Order: sequence, then C-alpha cells, then structure tokens
Amino acid sequence: MAIVNLQNVTYKYPLTDSPALQNINLQVKEGEFLAVIGPNGAGKSTLCYTLAGFVPHFFKGELTGTVEVASQESSKSNLSEWVLNVGLAFQNPFNQISGAKFTVFEEIAFGLENTGVPRDEMKVRVEDAMKLTEISDLADRSPYSLSGGQQQRVALTSILVMQPKVLVLDEPTSQMDPIGTREVFGVIRTMAEKGMTVVLVEHKVEWIANFADRVVALHEGQIILDGKPREVLTSDALLDKGFGISRYTSVARKAKEQGLWNKADLPITLGEAVEGFRK
Amino acid sequence: MHGRLSFYVRRDSAIHHLNPLTKVVLALSIILVAFIAPWDWTATLLFFLVIVPLCFAGKVSREFFRSATRLIIPASGFIFIMQAFFQPVGQDIIFKFWFLDVTQESLIFAFRTSTRIAVMISSFTFFLLTTHPSELMSDLTRRGLPGQFAYVIISSLQILPQMQAKAQTIISAQRSRGLDTESTFLKRAGAIVPLVGPLVFGSLVEVEERAIAIEARGFTSTHKKTSLQNIADSGMDKIMRWVLLGLVITTLVLNIWLS
Repeated sequence: MAIVNLQNVTYKYPLTDSPALQNINLQVKEGEFLAVIGPNGAGKSTLCYTLAGFVPHFFKGELTGTVEVASQESSKSNLSEWVLNVGLAFQNPFNQISGAKFTVFEEIAFGLENTGVPRDEMKVRVEDAMKLTEISDLADRSPYSLSGGQQQRVALTSILVMQPKVLVLDEPTSQMDPIGTREVFGVIRTMAEKGMTVVLVEHKVEWIANFADRVVALHEGQIILDGKPREVLTSDALLDKGFGISRYTSVARKAKEQGLWNKADLPITLGEAVEGFRK
Repeated sequence: MHGRLSFYVRRDSAIHHLNPLTKVVLALSIILVAFIAPWDWTATLLFFLVIVPLCFAGKVSREFFRSATRLIIPASGFIFIMQAFFQPVGQDIIFKFWFLDVTQESLIFAFRTSTRIAVMISSFTFFLLTTHPSELMSDLTRRGLPGQFAYVIISSLQILPQMQAKAQTIISAQRSRGLDTESTFLKRAGAIVPLVGPLVFGSLVEVEERAIAIEARGFTSTHKKTSLQNIADSGMDKIMRWVLLGLVITTLVLNIWLS
C-alpha cells in the first residue's frame, strides 16, 4: 500500500516563472527505499521540501495537485503536525544542529521536547535511537565539536527519534568525505533493514545501487524515469543530461562499444563490474 | 573554535543545585542592595562577605578570582580613576594633578561607584559560573518565557563563536587573495566590505536552513513543551527568593527613611 502519494503536483516558487516541479505523480509503498537522482536544478530538493511539508507551509508560492502521506493531505495539515509524518534531513550537517543544546544527548531530545513527549519516554527514545545509529559514545560531547560525518549522524538521529512514518534525505552525504559518507550510509542501511520508508536524494549512484528498491530520475522538474535501479541507472536516457552515472556503468558502456563487455546488462555495482570483466 | 561556549563550570555544590531562578534572584538582589543601600561600604562588604563566600560554597573560587583579576579589578579600577579625577564635587582638594583636582568627595564618590560596579560584575560572574544556560532557559520556559525568546538567547551563545571562526576563515581567504587587512587605518576600513559581505550573506542563508532544521523538529509545535532536564524547585528555593525580595524591599525602605 502506498504511504506516499503525489498526484499531479506542480509547484512554482514565489517570484519565479517556471515551475520547479511539473505534474509529478509518485507513489511510494510502505517500507520501500526510493532513490531520487537528477542533475542540479532538477527539482530534487523541492521534491523533498514538498514531501516534508515545507512546500507550501514554509516556502510560499503556488502548489497544485495533492500531496498525501499516510492518507493525510499536506495542505490540510500544519507543519508542526506534518513533521511527525515525514522527517527531513539535508545536506549541511552544521546547519542542522539546533544551536539550542550543549550536548548531543540534549540535541537529539530537542524535537521530543518540542512535541511534548514525557521525560521518561524521551530518555528511552533518545538512548534507543543513539544505539541504533551507533553514536551512544558521543552523548556528552558538544554537537559543535564533532566531525561532519558524526554531526550528520546526530542530525539523522534527531529526526529518527521523532519516529516519522517516512524519512526524506536530501543529499545527506554531499558534504562528507569518504569516511563520513560511509558512516552516514551505515545509518541509512540500518533504516532500510528496519523496513522504514525512505526517500533518498543522492548523487553518489554507487551507493544507491546497493540500497534502493526503486529509482526515480528527475529532470527539469519532471519524472523522466521510474523503475528498478538497474533499469534506471543504466538507461541511455540519462546520458548528456547532467546525471551522475556510476563509473562502473560508464566503463562497461565504453567497453561494450569496443566489444569488451559481453553481458546483456550493464553493471551498477563494483561486484557486478568485476564479475562481468572477469568473464 | 570549539572552546567553552559559556562561563558555566560543572561542579557538585549546593549552589549548583539551587533552582536557576533562585540564582537569578540572588544575583539581582545583591546588585540592587549594593546600589540602593545608602552606606558607602555596603558594596565592599557585599563583595567580601557575600559574593566571595558564595563562590567558595559553589566551588568556583579559582575561576572567580581569575575573572576578578582579568575583568573586575581592571574595570572597577578604571571607573575609580575616572570618577576620582573628573567628578566635579566637593571643595576639599586632596591633591592636584595637572589641571585635575581630586577632592575628598570625589574620592568617596569614586569608591562607591567603582565598588558597586565591581559587585555588579562579580555577582553576574558568580551567577554565570554556577548556572548552566540551558537549565536556566528550560526553567524560564517552563515558567512561561516564550520558547522563541529562550532559543534566541541560547543559540546566540553557541552560534557567535561559530560566526567568529567563520569570520576568521573569510579573513584568511581574502588575505590569500591579496586583501590588505594589516596596514593603514583607511586601507583596513576599506577591507571591511569584502569581509563583512560574505559573512552577513552567508549567515542569512544559514538562518533559512537552520529555520528549516528546527521546524523539522517541531519547534513551532502547539503541544505543551516538555523538558529533558528535571530542574528542581524546592521549598527552600521558594523561601530564599521571598527572603531576598524582602531584603531588597527593606533596603529600599531604609534608603527612603534615612534620606
């Protein structure tokens, strides 16, 4: 059953002429891991803001169509209620630290304090969430004294602790080094394994290939492809449009032109590439 | 960059366990009594007989004396000298320095003013050393202070050091591209624009992102907020606050009665 349901969604930011999203129809099943790819300016962040209720409750402008999560309609709810449906984490970990708390433990509890969770339950939920994302050892540190990867894990934990029905991640590793990226994807993997519904916008397609159940390609505000990771990530429709393409796919595509790749499908992961080239 | 974000020193003392509001009332009462009391020696006595013992009781005497030598003594010393020389009161000239006369009255006035300022700074110092800012704000929010107001106070404590660090990065970046920030005054003044521009605009962008981040965590939720910290407010705290208020009123009455 679809937990996220977008019907004919078109959105224009204030003072702009062209829509950032055009006629988007998108359903995400409960427990599904959906990855969204697209070049810069494709509308990926706008899609995240729309799912998370910031369009239209924070960013004004014109929104048409319907955005439903768990059978509730976004335009009929308010932002502070909607955040309990959809959790949003984004690129810059530094700007996601509230600034209101002095330790990581307090930082993670911030959202629960705001939504009126009783103290005893709050402590248990914070501890559980920190265990899940493996940051229990950071509990007493200042959020500002952490590395980028650690800060991003704190930001993710701060959202997870609120137990949203859907987790929306807007390029959570774009400012991370390889170590930070691995740390953050470790958390995302745990979420996927727990059966959480995740919508992940990401440029690092090699990671998507390992996680996603389904991939949507967004271009100039429209969905141009929607399907299984292999189908979408190896599609010729992505070429020359500024999409990030896995280096494994690119190498195999070149090799295929030279007659050096004999398999029917192009690879999307390192393992597949190694296997294909061995043959 | 990640230095201490507040003056608070974590210790286990009776003072630390007092309710934050009680400490606010205590610090303000000391200051008010120092300023209202009609006697010249009140502030000095308050400093030595109240504030210093309180700092010992709060196990923050070392930190207190460090700030006393760095801030309280220089600030009140400066005020003493300025008042003694430039306060045009009294006739009994004790000594002359160039065209400036120091009279007995101006000396007394300077003594009274500088000791009051010393009490004011040291009372706040004591308060800041023993009160965690987030505990204070949680307690005040629970008592009805708007959450947004508390957020502004607390976040500026944390975000200002980050902005300082960012300003330093921008200075380094602009200097590496040849911007002169160290020669004549005029050149330095001209260098302000390429330094302040990126800092201000960068911060404005950050404000939007931070607003989204805290909204995503229910900051404007209409639920009644709860607090992670259980901040005790004992009967003793309540009694202390009433006694302190009584002391301030008594001092006020004495001042009016004696004048």
